[in-house]
Amino acid sequence: MAQDMTMKMIPLFIPRSHVSTAGNKTGSWRFLRPRYDEKTAPCSAACPAGEDIGRIAMLTAQGLFKEAWEAILKENPLPGVCGRVCFHPCEPACNRGEFDEAVAIHTLERFLADTAARYQLQADLERRSPRKQRVAVVGAGPSGLATAYFLTRLGYRCDVFEATPEAGGVLRWGIPSYRLPVAVLRREIEQMRRTGFEIRCNRRLSREFLQEAGATYDAVYLGCGHAKIPFLNIPGEDLEGVTDGLSFLQRVNRGDEPRLTGRVAIIGGGNTAVDVARTSLRLGAKPVLIYRRRRADMPAFPDEIQMALEEGVELLELRTVQRIDRAGEEYTLTLRQVPVVNCAAAGKACVQAVPQECERLAVSKVFRAIGLTAAESWFDPPPNENRVIRLNNSVLAYADGAPIIAYGGDVANPIKSVVHAVASAKEAAIALDITFQEGAEAIGERMKHCRVGGGSALSMEIHMQGPRCRRSDHVVAFDEINADYFELSPRIVQPRLLKEERIDSFAEIELKISANLAMREAERCFNCGLCNQCDNCRLFCPDLAVVKDADSGRHINYDYCKGCGICVVECPRNAMALEEENQTQMNTAEEGVHGRLT
Amino acid sequence: MKQVLEGSHAVAEAVRLARVNVISAYPITPQTHIVERLSDFCADGRLDARFLRVESEHSALAALIGASSTGVRTFTATSSQGLALMHELLHWASGARLPIVMAEVNRALAPGWNIWTDQTDSLAQRDTGWMQLYCETGQEVLDTTLQAYWLAETVNLPVMVILDAFFLSHTYEPVDIPSQEQVNGFLPDYQPRFQLDTRNPCAFNQLAPPNVYMEMRHNIQQAMDQVLSRFGQMEDGFGVVFGRRYGEVEPLQCDDAQIILVTSGTITSTSRALQQQLRADGERVGLLKIKLFRPFPADAVRRILGGAQKVAVIDRNCSFGAGGIFAQEVRAALCNLSARPLVFSYIAGLGGRDVTLDVLKLIYRHTKDCEHCPDDSIWMGLHEVHHAT
Amino acid sequence: MQLNVPDRDYMHSGHVGCPGCGAAVAMKFVLRALGNKTIMVLPACCWSIIAGPYPQSTLQIPLIHSAFETGGAMASGVRAALDVKGDKETCVVTWAGDGGTFDIGFQALSGAVERNEDFIYFCYDNEAYMNTGIQRSSSTPYGAWTTTTPGRDWKRMRKKNIVEALVAHRIPYAATASIAYPEDLLRKVSKARSIKGSRFLHIFASCPTGWRIPSEISVKIARMAVQTNIFPLYEVENGRKYTINFMPKGYLVKEYFKLQGRFKHLSESDLDQIQAMVEEDWELLLRKAGVPLQG
Repeated sequence: MAQDMTMKMIPLFIPRSHVSTAGNKTGSWRFLRPRYDEKTAPCSAACPAGEDIGRIAMLTAQGLFKEAWEAILKENPLPGVCGRVCFHPCEPACNRGEFDEAVAIHTLERFLADTAARYQLQADLERRSPRKQRVAVVGAGPSGLATAYFLTRLGYRCDVFEATPEAGGVLRWGIPSYRLPVAVLRREIEQMRRTGFEIRCNRRLSREFLQEAGATYDAVYLGCGHAKIPFLNIPGEDLEGVTDGLSFLQRVNRGDEPRLTGRVAIIGGGNTAVDVARTSLRLGAKPVLIYRRRRADMPAFPDEIQMALEEGVELLELRTVQRIDRAGEEYTLTLRQVPVVNCAAAGKACVQAVPQECERLAVSKVFRAIGLTAAESWFDPPPNENRVIRLNNSVLAYADGAPIIAYGGDVANPIKSVVHAVASAKEAAIALDITFQEGAEAIGERMKHCRVGGGSALSMEIHMQGPRCRRSDHVVAFDEINADYFELSPRIVQPRLLKEERIDSFAEIELKISANLAMREAERCFNCGLCNQCDNCRLFCPDLAVVKDADSGRHINYDYCKGCGICVVECPRNAMALEEENQTQMNTAEEGVHGRLT
Repeated sequence: MKQVLEGSHAVAEAVRLARVNVISAYPITPQTHIVERLSDFCADGRLDARFLRVESEHSALAALIGASSTGVRTFTATSSQGLALMHELLHWASGARLPIVMAEVNRALAPGWNIWTDQTDSLAQRDTGWMQLYCETGQEVLDTTLQAYWLAETVNLPVMVILDAFFLSHTYEPVDIPSQEQVNGFLPDYQPRFQLDTRNPCAFNQLAPPNVYMEMRHNIQQAMDQVLSRFGQMEDGFGVVFGRRYGEVEPLQCDDAQIILVTSGTITSTSRALQQQLRADGERVGLLKIKLFRPFPADAVRRILGGAQKVAVIDRNCSFGAGGIFAQEVRAALCNLSARPLVFSYIAGLGGRDVTLDVLKLIYRHTKDCEHCPDDSIWMGLHEVHHAT
Repeated sequence: MQLNVPDRDYMHSGHVGCPGCGAAVAMKFVLRALGNKTIMVLPACCWSIIAGPYPQSTLQIPLIHSAFETGGAMASGVRAALDVKGDKETCVVTWAGDGGTFDIGFQALSGAVERNEDFIYFCYDNEAYMNTGIQRSSSTPYGAWTTTTPGRDWKRMRKKNIVEALVAHRIPYAATASIAYPEDLLRKVSKARSIKGSRFLHIFASCPTGWRIPSEISVKIARMAVQTNIFPLYEVENGRKYTINFMPKGYLVKEYFKLQGRFKHLSESDLDQIQAMVEEDWELLLRKAGVPLQG
């Protein structure tokens, strides 16, 4: 019997595993807590339209051109226009500029708009359900059209009234086609109109409209722009042959291309002056720009000035025109040199006229092209009063029993540019929306939440409670980027017509880039503060505590996360944050803000 | 088929017949003939095994621990310094419950350098969890090696098959080499109870905290305990196939003996001759050969020695500060008997010195004549030492 | 944008590695490239603990813990057994720390490589005996504090160049890799897996606990070791063909040193001396790789 017991196989008890370590909840070790924390890219904070540039570039890099284009349209209905004529304040803000060269955001924007046009893409944009309020928009320039576009998406019925035969405002009549082909503009206007508003052209309204509108409209948006060139107040400026530069551009844009010969003088230093100079060059003239300060002080975009000079435009800096005299077909300008007296570090040069230093310039034609003003006084916003709210880019005037009057575009913008017109439109649209929904008192507080990076730019996506809401308004600085994850790579060079090709026609100067090039350029983007699914957080996690979700987002499994923080440091783009753990959080497992493609 | 074989070659033949899969060894005199012969077998295809010619004994056993954990039959051979170098891994092999078989040729430990026989090397490893089987003849070496696999694989513990340097390892004797069929009939293919397997991924040998370590050690003790009963079962099976049996101990005319000599290894053979002579002279003397040292067959020892008046344990080894190691074990086995023999401890033949018939006679005479049994071991045949100044 | 690396992990959460453990990251990467047809031999090291106490396992592959100095030998035995069983598919690997590789395990490693055993030996190098509490090893770099090189007795011997020692064996494949360069690391593991014979990967794996660094910079510090040429990324085929995988960007070693508590006692002149040593080693490597020296 003992035999049986002693012959039985003794079960082995050996050091051999049969369960995993998953039963150890190492999350209890944690005293720091990582979380997904998307932030604001400096470019988008610098963009007056608050475009979500980091995300637009991310989508572009992935070849998701439609989605990228739609991401622009959420904030700016004019990517084709802005991709051509915007002065792109985003690019100087680009963190990549501190690494090698800024991302060619401007070029990418145009590429996306052109790609959408080429494939006749229709945008699928979020639109709120209809609301009862109606808004009249006066002026179908960029600000008026954009206001109607934003308000329509917010659910309001809009009617746009335009004095000229065609919508577009300064974009249609003031910008030469070598910079902005009319087809591009028409396409984007059509795109906006399709959101569901009407444009009534050839409807020049009078001041009385503001009173009458109350019957139909709850608000009127005045976006009549600056369409008048003021006089110089010098002798001879009323001579025939001394023309207003804007009218000249309008004429050419209507299709009239007069031949010009000999020297023509353009007085001014803004974009209109440069446009007039370059247009007259294309019509056969030898243009001379006369500007009272230095080239560096000219309000025109430096690129435009550079190209103008390349094409053969002459620039006379530091000169004022004293008088204009006519002798037959010839006009003589008396110019006075103005030396620089005092040069402020960042400002414009201070100049002082020196009466002795006079010279004469003989030309065949003179264009006035100094700073523009509103065509009618009632286009301008009223002075500050009790019931006037002055915002960054727009002004709202409230009166009992009358529609709200909103002023936007050039009349309300410190900087007159297309993108500021869009900014103005968005600001007014959001302000009106808040007024209609919650009352004017709520504007300040509610608008604060829409600010991109806490700055003046607003985001319609945030206002409409889109995924961008989840971003923090911390603007990512270059030293917060993990630059080790990026290789030096040169910025794309914008292809252009050669100088010789340019001056013969009004053909667009800037050429298209290929999808490949666009994707490569977009890949250069740091996507500051945004998760681009690089997976570093999950890849490097020593505790396998970062979990990939079915929808390609990620979350942190706080059951196991020891709070080492590697994920946060290895996030190339600062889309995560590491915070001190607190006791209440420690008990919450499987929670976390998701980094997702949204 | 009988052949005249060296003891080393008997080991090699047994390894071949046991269909060992992986051999790993490092040469050391006097073990070299074993590994040389096995190398020949592997080279000429008589043995289909991987032979890892590693760079140390330590690695030799480490390699076998890896191979055995992967579920194959393994073998190594070593001696003396090599065994001492393996010490850490001896524990590892038994703790991992691996049925590794080793031929260990008893050789003295340095310094001074000494390549001749001495059991201290293997006995110093008595607490490592290895079974130890001491052999006397070439035939026993071959048979014991086969038996070792059976035992090892039955209880999942490693085995040392131990043979004296030169007296056995290098001595030619007629040995019956069984056929492969016979061996297969006794020793089936190895069926591992666990192994590294990608289809069933487990971690082996990991951290064992206090709450489980003791139970794991107890499990080893249980296995050792079971060897004593398994040994008989094994020999039954072995006897059926080969017609031979050795016993974990072999008593020779002990039943009526007043004095019993206790030996192990090749000293046993000389002792057999003495015992025959003394019996012829009318002395009531018996001989007990201890083959199985670990686990120690205490029951058998008690049963056989318990009735004698005196026991003389001859140790070719020494645990310094305690004396002959077999003697300690024998004394320990007897100590709880109410009536027990006096146990004399003799140390003889260290470092390969001959333990001749005369030496054994002296031991017998001393045991018989001495009324008082000293606690300490008695060193036989010590020369006078002339110390250098 | 995502790194091009295999996505499936063969490791479990809940292991007891310190927060930010570079060795845990290294294991995770290596297993991704190896896949589950792998048997691992694990000599004593930090991972002996991280792999889990009875009855747990952190890994989803078969694993055998082994004595400290037996990494090369035990893997030889596992490989031999698989060969006998006709299993050509399973890859045998050893996963050892620097102590088990550079020091106590060097003999077994050298023996196995000399025999050209068909296995991959991974050394995750955290530059000291970390599991026992930060004692110096022959992999501890010049200048480092450890608990056995404390105070004024900071280590004044250079780190052993283990890859060169293996190259001297004419090993079919030897490479350095870093947890900060997963693509390079995983490529090397895959490459090693495709080669027959002995293969050696020396993986730089930071140790926040022993290096006295905040855990969150664990990967960053490993990257800096590469960027400063302290730990160049290169591979050597058949003991002859050197390929340098990463050309430095001119970071100074002091940038790397000043982030770590283990080096905080070093003076500017010590750092200058170390810079010179690093440059000397780098130039030696360039010469072996046949790359013209700069400047």
